[in-house]
Amino acid sequence: MAFQLSGSNLGTRENRLGSITGYVGDLEDLASQSKCGTLTGCSRCFSQSSTCLSGCALGQLGGIRDVAIIHHGPAGCSATASSQYIVTNQVAAKRGVVNSSVYIGTDMDENDTIFGSTDALAEIILEVNRRYHPKAIFVSSSCATGIIGEDIDSVVDEVKEAIPVPVIAVHCEGFKSRIWATGFDISDHAVLSGIVEPPRKKQNTINFKNFYESARNEIIEMFQNFDLEPVFLYANATVEELKHLSEAVATTCICGTLGNYLGNGLEEVYGVPYIRTINPLGITGFETWLREIGRVAGKQPQVERYIEEQRNIYIPQIEAVKKELKGLKAVLGMGPGYTFEVTRVLNELGIEVVWALAWHYDKRYENGEIPPAMSYLLENDINFEASVADQQNFEVMNILNKFRPDLYLSRHPGSTVWAIKQGTPAVYVADEYMIFGYKHTLEFAHAILDTIRNRSFEQNLAKRVKLPYTDWWYQQEVGKFLEEAIS
Amino acid sequence: MSQVIENPRGGCVLAGINSVLGALNRVCPVYHAGPGCCMQTTASDPGQSGNKSSSFVSSVSIPSSNMLEREVVFGGTQKLKTTIEGAVEIIDADAYFVLTGCTAGIIGDDIVSVTTEFREKGIPVFPIETPGFAGDSNLGYEVIWNTMIDQVIEPTEEKEENLVNLFGIIPYHDPFWSGNLEEISRILKKLGLKVNTFFTEQQGMETIKSCARASLNIIIHPWILKGPAERFEEKFHVPYIRYPGLPIGASDTRRFVLKVAEALKLDDRLVNQVLEEEEVYVYRYLAQAIGTLSWKKFAVVADGSTAVGITRYLANDYSFTPVLVIISEPLYRQEDKERIVTELMTLEYAKPPRVVFCADQYEINQELLKQEDISLIIGSSNEEEVSSLKEVQNIVAAFPIKDRLIFNRAYAGYRGSLTLIEDLYDNL
Repeated sequence: MAFQLSGSNLGTRENRLGSITGYVGDLEDLASQSKCGTLTGCSRCFSQSSTCLSGCALGQLGGIRDVAIIHHGPAGCSATASSQYIVTNQVAAKRGVVNSSVYIGTDMDENDTIFGSTDALAEIILEVNRRYHPKAIFVSSSCATGIIGEDIDSVVDEVKEAIPVPVIAVHCEGFKSRIWATGFDISDHAVLSGIVEPPRKKQNTINFKNFYESARNEIIEMFQNFDLEPVFLYANATVEELKHLSEAVATTCICGTLGNYLGNGLEEVYGVPYIRTINPLGITGFETWLREIGRVAGKQPQVERYIEEQRNIYIPQIEAVKKELKGLKAVLGMGPGYTFEVTRVLNELGIEVVWALAWHYDKRYENGEIPPAMSYLLENDINFEASVADQQNFEVMNILNKFRPDLYLSRHPGSTVWAIKQGTPAVYVADEYMIFGYKHTLEFAHAILDTIRNRSFEQNLAKRVKLPYTDWWYQQEVGKFLEEAIS
Repeated sequence: MSQVIENPRGGCVLAGINSVLGALNRVCPVYHAGPGCCMQTTASDPGQSGNKSSSFVSSVSIPSSNMLEREVVFGGTQKLKTTIEGAVEIIDADAYFVLTGCTAGIIGDDIVSVTTEFREKGIPVFPIETPGFAGDSNLGYEVIWNTMIDQVIEPTEEKEENLVNLFGIIPYHDPFWSGNLEEISRILKKLGLKVNTFFTEQQGMETIKSCARASLNIIIHPWILKGPAERFEEKFHVPYIRYPGLPIGASDTRRFVLKVAEALKLDDRLVNQVLEEEEVYVYRYLAQAIGTLSWKKFAVVADGSTAVGITRYLANDYSFTPVLVIISEPLYRQEDKERIVTELMTLEYAKPPRVVFCADQYEINQELLKQEDISLIIGSSNEEEVSSLKEVQNIVAAFPIKDRLIFNRAYAGYRGSLTLIEDLYDNL
């Protein structure tokens, strides 16, 4: 697809990537339908809470150092500001830097929804600039501003000249996409269109898209073997660093859902190669990814040396722990950037995936191909029952109740809560690096063992907690409320 | 009017409505809103209130019509109808409340007609037509009680002489709500009363339906529930008293108990006996840890009720000096501000503090930074940063609380006051 960086708006994942949130079947069917283009996805006549794309978009942008987010909407839209502060400060403190970014709500009220508040917004942007002197200002819309037709682009254009740093309109009307990951693309689009500058000189950097850079030091150390210097995005990144993203050797990411738009955008617009392998989770994932980086950077011998050295340390240990994991059955529910990657790792560890839920599914990535994690599973004859559901908890509970697996894995704490209440041990794959490379794959295997070996809390809790779901629901097919999508 | 609020505390009114419902046993909220409203509101209120946020139906398990562009353009009542149908089929709740997001509010979906269809079939589905932009989250509690008064509470002329309704301790807006309700209820029970707390002891819809049988409504809060309390009295003939802040410690809890006793004409002997017992209990402990805390000059940053409670306790009972009190919730009625100021000015012992009303974190930080003579800041998680900048002691004791786990911990009443002192010590 052609990247249009001149406007502030971009298409949703539904429109760009044919992404869906409703499907029940199995992996093979999902992939073959994606390939031949017949996959349409279903909607639901009954649904539970989904999530707002603004959280993904502004959470990403708010992590950049010393910027201001102005969320133009009613008080509720900027509700996550407080957690954003805490996470931002902790992540900064961990690295030993100071992040002075601020998150501003504009507190729209009923009058504003009737009479509009663009004048007030212009004044707020100027006031925020006076108060905090940020390095960039992102001005976001919301459902309310979208429906009443507030033209934030014009407001931004109007104040731009009076402010010496980038002021960027960010379109976060929550109703425009049922896929919250569209928010990641929105943040990438803002950075690509408003901050990144054309390359002046090539550097030995590698753009590394991640969430909270918890494995920062070890990755820096690893890349030193290949004379590469990672620039982690966006938490703790500086606006100055972002300006130079176009000068990197390559772009890579820890999660395909997170990195897709920036990676493809930088490649298409500035010719920075995007590493499109399976992700560096588990053994095969790590090696495949690293070899591709070696190829792109012209460092193949160094990469091979590194792999051999590391294999000698970790593979025997991983093989040993695998014996204890053999025969376990798992269900997992995650964003698609992880679901099909983690299923591969579980398979590698000898754990049987009986059902995998993806919170959405991208039929193809920006380059027109189906996601590499899917291709890998198919090429290796790994198939299992699968569904796509935007965190629909009732469907998760129905599946868990049917399969009674040894464990449930999710990247969302709200989802593991309900599994645990039902008595299923759950692993919250919180840290994006929890399964990264050999070392963390080994740790992950041990975390699973710890989780299933002592089930005292899950079992005692489940005896005493009455879940809200009816017996009727547990007897239904999981896809009961799916209906053909009306586009 | 749109204004700059750095790091707002809590969410929109929808968040307040949702969190109060979350605290109610066996009740299911149904969002008629955009896909993000439920998670945003869950994050803003229950999610920032001591980490006790998973209730009967909460966050990802809450039914939501997840309104998209199609509903924005063509209306979302059909989607709402099938969402309620599904909710009734899969979730076994005592009542369902339909909540309105900004989107549904602006496009004007008629949720009352939809819910009426269900009510006519005998299914307890109640509409709440207050969209997110109508106010801040602390008003959610008021909206809920207006809904209950209009649609749920059953009128009766039969009154139970010793039954009281306890209002004003707002679930999640007060992170210590469970424990505070339990402690106040414990004290009232010692006075021979039966207490509807609504949110503890597995009370729920049945308690609400029958609460017009009470003899007195007790509101522990400086300003909330003005309108609903009057309407309750008009419609159900239950009078109310207002105690203007959280009673903490021996002095204020005595004042609170005497006010209740006066309104209900309780037996003096019993009342005095309870006061005596409780005060002996508290001072026996306090006497065992003298000198562990040095005297502090303190600032409080909190909602009105918490700020009044903590300031008065530490000044009147614990010899600390109040210097600055910042009321961090938006207040609109002059009389409410005056009531709070009066409580903070009429201290028995200390010189009154400077009082500031301000919800914007930037201004709050500026106020704290320019106040030189403080050695303790009692506030929310939002004040941790400025406390460390000033290098003064800090305790997180008010909403929002991100980094503490609070089950039944209480600061109210007698036992709560001891906990507050313990927390001050732990945090030295």
